Amino acid sequence: MSSRPLRVGAPPRSLSLAVKIVLTLLYVIPLLWIILEALKSGAQTLTAPNAIVFSPTLATIGSVIGEAGGSVLLSFEVTASATVAVILLGVPAAYALSRRTSRRWNRTVSAVLIILLFLQMVPQPMTVIPLYGVLVRWHLLGSIGGLVLADTALVLPFSVLLLRPFALAVPSVLFEAAALDGATGRQTFARIVVPLLRNGIATVGAIVFITVWGEFIYATNFLSQGSRYPVSALLAQQIGKYSADWNTLMALALLTSLPLLVIFLFAQRRLTAGLTLGAVR
Amino acid sequence: MAAELQSEPLQGLRDTASAGSAVSGRRLRSPAPWRYLIAPGVVIGVISVYPLIKLVQIAFSNVGPTNLIGSWSWVGFANLSAQLHSHVLWAAARVTLELTVMLLVSDLVVGFAVAAVLVERSRTTSAVMSLMTFVWALPPLVSGSVWKFLLASDGPVNGLLGNLGMKPVDWLASPHLALWSVGFVTSWAALPFATLVLRGGMLSVPKDMVEAAAVDGARYWQTQLRIVLPQLRPTMTILAVLAVLYSFQGFNFIFAMTSGGPGTATVNVPFLAYQQAFTTFDLSAGSAIALLAMVVIVLLAIPYTLSVRREEQA
Repeated sequence: MSSRPLRVGAPPRSLSLAVKIVLTLLYVIPLLWIILEALKSGAQTLTAPNAIVFSPTLATIGSVIGEAGGSVLLSFEVTASATVAVILLGVPAAYALSRRTSRRWNRTVSAVLIILLFLQMVPQPMTVIPLYGVLVRWHLLGSIGGLVLADTALVLPFSVLLLRPFALAVPSVLFEAAALDGATGRQTFARIVVPLLRNGIATVGAIVFITVWGEFIYATNFLSQGSRYPVSALLAQQIGKYSADWNTLMALALLTSLPLLVIFLFAQRRLTAGLTLGAVR
Repeated sequence: MAAELQSEPLQGLRDTASAGSAVSGRRLRSPAPWRYLIAPGVVIGVISVYPLIKLVQIAFSNVGPTNLIGSWSWVGFANLSAQLHSHVLWAAARVTLELTVMLLVSDLVVGFAVAAVLVERSRTTSAVMSLMTFVWALPPLVSGSVWKFLLASDGPVNGLLGNLGMKPVDWLASPHLALWSVGFVTSWAALPFATLVLRGGMLSVPKDMVEAAAVDGARYWQTQLRIVLPQLRPTMTILAVLAVLYSFQGFNFIFAMTSGGPGTATVNVPFLAYQQAFTTFDLSAGSAIALLAMVVIVLLAIPYTLSVRREEQA
């Protein structure tokens, strides 16, 4: 009966500390190595790739920014377009699937939800084969528009499923009040549903941004050779090359990660909440 | 473009539609919401569902790079049966299974233990959770490539071993170890998500249950295992299904770290399908493998779908 009752139901302190230290090391060290390696010159990487003490240089990062800066901008273009498209398509869908207006409609909702759950499970590499053919037929292969379309379709099912609980949380009293006031369906949607979904839109927007930013399978296959690639696809190509240009590779990895750090700092709490929600609903 | 699709082509039909949908007596007349599904439905139908139908068609035909656009000759089950008799596919299935088991153990066992420690709210806890969530948010290619570097034969991990007087280990070049390395990194990348979900579940376990056990003198882990764990069963089930699906998708880390090597030691089923289609350009073989994998996924997805629906109706 010493200090225990004060921390009822809490893990033993020493164990808790040990686990936190191990986790921190396990997750911080890789991040630190990215930065450390990106600060080395080519010669330093060749002679002592594992050195922790060295004179850092910004030359590698500088030259990578010079070469891949355009790719970062292209990534922004593709990712922002896909994110906007997903929100524009996903919010109405989530709204429609959250309403229970008639028994027939409820059955339709169930069927659509099952289709979305299934689509969300199809491994992305397997969709590349048929999508390739479809994009060729529509003359969209090699175009940014085709890539944005493919990315949108990739994350839309998941986004609708994630947005739906937010739409379900809109109290149905509000719809009834709006109908009493003579609001059209469209007005109800634009003035009541969309503002109330702000949190959900921010959460899903952040998750979609993160996913599309890191997407490389479509980007490497659906853009034409020799054209400019998004930064994730550039990273994929660098990885494929047999060389020990670790400093360049890590500088590129750093450049790929930095925009996500910004998104993460803004959206961390929503991400945490949204991910838990998405997994359980 | 999306905005265009969304503008209302059916404004005039609205009244008829709402009158047609039999709204139950108590509710007020509300228009059928189906028109909000038109634009997303068209996009999903055309870019997600239609290609899947094409995939099935390619799996039953003879399609290579030359006749991708053109006529396909129907070959029936020939591709599928060729794949089912191919030991390459079975080797890939085994790799998939092994990766799945590793991921399941990591998500459920390690995830549970980590969440049980991180469930206590404190400043250090939220710092560790933030760090882990950020790593989870990184593109798999970034985390995959840094681990490729860390585990390289002359990389930092072996450098450390050397300083400790140990021999270097072929983490990624040995056929036996490579799969373990890929499994470790995949689990490492998935652990933050599992922890987040399980921790969320733990926080919603009624506090007095836990406190009552503690007052009765139960030790922390006893409480966690006998009282908290049973409460987490639904969360654990969903997490297990997600882990299986995720490991099917575990393509990114293989791509980043080993490209399936050494030899074919780390080729899983999606990677094999991709290789067949885009390295060998045998689109039919790749599609046949993808189709077989999808049948397995559908079977695995049934309990998940049912559990989601049950929750829906509750």
